[in-house]
Amino acid sequence: MQSTHPELLQNVRDVIAKILNVPLADVPAEMAFGDIPQWDSMGHMEVMLALEENFSVPVNADTIGELVSVPLIVEYISQNTHA
Amino acid sequence: MEILPSITIPAHLVSQVQSKLAYVDEVIASAVVAETGDKISLTLHRKPDAALQNTLNEKVQFVVEQMAKGSFQPKVEILEDHAAHAVPFSQDPMPELLASGEVSKEEIGIFSFGPLFTRLVDYFEARFLELADSFDAKPYRFPTLMSARMLDRVEYFRAFPHSLTFAAHLREDLDIINRFAEQAAYENEGLNASMDSFSRIQAMLSPAVCYHLYFSLADQTLKEDTIIATAVGTCFRYESSNLTSLERLWNFTMREVIFVGSKEFVLEKREQARDFMRPILDELGLAYHVESANDPFFIGEFRKQAAFQNAFQLKYEIRARLPFKDDTLAVGSYNYHQDFFGRHLNINLPDGSPIHTGCVAFGLERIVFAFLAQYGLQPQDWPVSVKEALV
Repeated sequence: MQSTHPELLQNVRDVIAKILNVPLADVPAEMAFGDIPQWDSMGHMEVMLALEENFSVPVNADTIGELVSVPLIVEYISQNTHA
Repeated sequence: MEILPSITIPAHLVSQVQSKLAYVDEVIASAVVAETGDKISLTLHRKPDAALQNTLNEKVQFVVEQMAKGSFQPKVEILEDHAAHAVPFSQDPMPELLASGEVSKEEIGIFSFGPLFTRLVDYFEARFLELADSFDAKPYRFPTLMSARMLDRVEYFRAFPHSLTFAAHLREDLDIINRFAEQAAYENEGLNASMDSFSRIQAMLSPAVCYHLYFSLADQTLKEDTIIATAVGTCFRYESSNLTSLERLWNFTMREVIFVGSKEFVLEKREQARDFMRPILDELGLAYHVESANDPFFIGEFRKQAAFQNAFQLKYEIRARLPFKDDTLAVGSYNYHQDFFGRHLNINLPDGSPIHTGCVAFGLERIVFAFLAQYGLQPQDWPVSVKEALV
């Protein structure tokens, strides 16, 4: 499915690839938590902290449990920023 | 000595930071964090000079910042609340347990138990075995020692280094063994033998029961989709100055029921276990609640790991009331590990996907201690089911 926020999608993929230390090609648009070994529990928390830092969106216990895929992250950021 | 933390410790972290301060320096006898989170009081084994005060201040500030800076407010969910259940006793049972010889202290965190306490342990364990039987859980026996190599594979050293207990033996060297035999003595609160007399560490004392099952399955593709097992084992978690009374033991016993399978299977069994245990805990007369919780990760891992466990509701604790101190004590837990062990130990289901695991664990000494804290040592005051089984 094509993202309605292509630029944001690209930025999110960039951040995740950097944080998880994997090539951008290993972070497809539909990727989810657990799809690659690097996106494990600790990787997930690194991703959450990176979202907070890079996109200035609030991260809390609810979002940590809900933002478990690239599309969900893109959707959440688009709804919680004015970019 | 008092320390003002550089950032105020949030209320939800006060007890967790306090417990970690025991590991900051050997000179600390005890540490108390004010409920307001803005003051830390340390009791020290000796009077500190300026240099020591400076060192302690730096170390304590480091702990506070690592654990509290940018911490996530946990979502504490009370899943069951039976804490208001009336109980007849409100004193600390420990003085009477010690005076009667039902409990005797061998060392800090190491206790022996007499007939009454032992019968209660056996009875409570039998009730937990009803849960195992309801799942037709297969019995297992596991060693007290645990492979250091395997613990490394599951990153235990990163998560819980502070609570490890090491097993060592003398090196295979005649001179060393003879010297030890001639000179070894316990003095100044420890053996006088030099550390280079001992072997490299290959084994630990088990910190948990279910790990043994996962280790036995390492690097395998399972022939069946699910495993349900049960085992009782002695576990060891060093808790420094937090080792008080029977609430925190260095050496304790856990009965576990262990689930291996798909995510859906493990989560379903965890819920079934909770449903099964509810009437049993009620029949035992316990005042308790079940709430979401996190494991006591060490400082560096704490903030992220605890937040992850909380966010995904991986751990629920059964917390029994301790009326004498208006507090609660974790006596059991319902745990879901996701596919952590499947991935780290390369264990797959027949379809090739990594196993998911979970366990229900009961701390036997703790639950008896909580029971005695709520009902006292006189059997005539106990709930009928317990009294009839034991008297």
